[in-house]
Amino acid sequence: MKIITWYGILTLEENGVADCELFNKDVDELAEGLLHQNAAGARAPEAGFDIRAPAISFGFVENDREYDSLLRDVSIRAGKLRISRTNTPDMRIIQAVEALDDIDDAANALSERLSEWYGLHFPELGFSSEQLARFVKEHGARSNIPADDPIFEKASSSMGAELPPADEELVKQFASNICDLYDNRHSIEESIVRNMGEIAPNLSNIAGPLIGARLISMTGGLERLAQLPSSTVQVMGASRALFKHLRSRAPSPKHGLIFNHPLIKNSPWWQRGKIARALAAKISLACRTDVYSGELSPAIKTGLEKKVNSIKSSNPKPPAREKPSGKGRGKGNKNSGGRR
Amino acid sequence: MAVKELSDGIFEVQKSGKRFIGTKNAVPGSAVYGERLVEAEGDEYRIWDARRSKLAAMVLKKMNIPIKSDSNVLYLGAASGTTVSHVSDILTDGLVYAVEFSPRTMRELIQLCDTRLNIIPILADANHPASYAHIVEQVDVVFQDVAQPNQAQIAAVNCEQFLKGDGHLLLSIKARSIDTVANPGKVFKEEVKKLEKEFDTKFQILKKQDLAPFHDDHLGLIAQKLLR
Ligand SMILES: C[S@@+](CC[C@H](N)C(=O)[O-])C[C@H]1O[C@@H](n2cnc3c(N)ncnc32)[C@H](O)[C@@H]1O
Repeated sequence: MKIITWYGILTLEENGVADCELFNKDVDELAEGLLHQNAAGARAPEAGFDIRAPAISFGFVENDREYDSLLRDVSIRAGKLRISRTNTPDMRIIQAVEALDDIDDAANALSERLSEWYGLHFPELGFSSEQLARFVKEHGARSNIPADDPIFEKASSSMGAELPPADEELVKQFASNICDLYDNRHSIEESIVRNMGEIAPNLSNIAGPLIGARLISMTGGLERLAQLPSSTVQVMGASRALFKHLRSRAPSPKHGLIFNHPLIKNSPWWQRGKIARALAAKISLACRTDVYSGELSPAIKTGLEKKVNSIKSSNPKPPAREKPSGKGRGKGNKNSGGRR
Repeated sequence: MAVKELSDGIFEVQKSGKRFIGTKNAVPGSAVYGERLVEAEGDEYRIWDARRSKLAAMVLKKMNIPIKSDSNVLYLGAASGTTVSHVSDILTDGLVYAVEFSPRTMRELIQLCDTRLNIIPILADANHPASYAHIVEQVDVVFQDVAQPNQAQIAAVNCEQFLKGDGHLLLSIKARSIDTVANPGKVFKEEVKKLEKEFDTKFQILKKQDLAPFHDDHLGLIAQKLLR
């Protein structure tokens, strides 16, 4: 029987180790070997087998001290190799997607504050989030709004309090920081789109780069996503909302992430379930193609378009029964995405 | 100021009226995770906080730690190496095989290995000892702190594969389900029973001890493999 160890392949016979085919005593080679230990025909040592003794008796190392230090070097090298190999481009995409979410959280909180703060001064403005931040950054106090601006009327008749110059500086600075966050968000999105085109051209082509990136982020990597059944891909993102719903009374989820896809969003409710199923199937196919060949295959998209057209032409009208209501909706809900 | 060795490499240090436990720093001058360094009788000790380490809590709970300065230790659930670093201090003449399955955490553990000569880092799942049996030799002590529901089974398979006859197992058992917060004692009993079943009378349980107040809902357990 042959068993494998980090330093060589041992041949075991009844009365012990009969032979040892030693590996090259080179840290890099040995570390590589550790990563691909399932060498043909050899097995892991049996329970209770002492792997140290043969390393010395067959002369791989001279003594225990050398065994210790070589094994240490090899294990550290192997660990570093494995870690650097888990830092694949899809891991960077995942970080970028998470950064988008963090920015959204931060920008929302800051925008709400800006809205309250600036609202003391100009409550009639009616802007929020990015639009508000850009406005405040540009104009500051409402007295600076030029007469030809459509807002001018509102601004000059506002019931808001005065904004002292010192506060105006502060609030402008605050707004400007929010604008920077939004700018940063745009550049992260652009980089996601670029990187997705490189590492997952088919997924980008079918799902769109941003939805594709979110799917990767949710599963933890492109390869894992490629291994999921398409029925899972279809509802992914819904479960996250579901947990949130259970934890915090957020609204119950109607549908997964791919329902943000224009093919589904722009279709009438009674076609959405079928289209979602077709889209999810093509997304899975696209991921597998990205993992195994990496080449863009336009046939996937044409296939999807054909399928969607046939769904549309065979379901032109809502089903005869009225839009299902009450409990009956339960199951259809997930697919219909009809109500917000 | 006085230093007393409680067991191999584990010291009680008295300083300005306070008592600490600590290990003799194998890399003098540098702390690993922000722990305090103190000088006593010409040596530098790293203060070992029982709230951050189940093993340190076991020491304070007067459990006899069977780790000798020349032991080889298999450590399951090494995380970023807080406790491993102290084990590394204790083993002036032995190795600690540190198994951890999260690559993110392993990143930090490997940085620790770079500065210490007796830690062998292994990125692997402790459920599958065969996946590191080509690296790990027979050891004197298995220490396990994985905090997983199948902790008893993980301990059993690893002891089967790697623990020498008469070697020791040190186990941190976590009471997991929520309603047991009310009665962790019951969970511990069940876990110990499970363990005995997994071990199939190949072990003798030497000591078990609730690790509160250092770690809530954790039981420390020391067992010895029976020679056959
Ligand atoms: C409670 S922490 C350990 C803390 C550490 N012993 C210390 O005191 O510094 C548990 C660790 O076990 C790891 N872990 C959990 N299950 C594991 C498994 N099956 N194999 C290897 N490591 C595992 C976790 O990733 C985590 O880092």
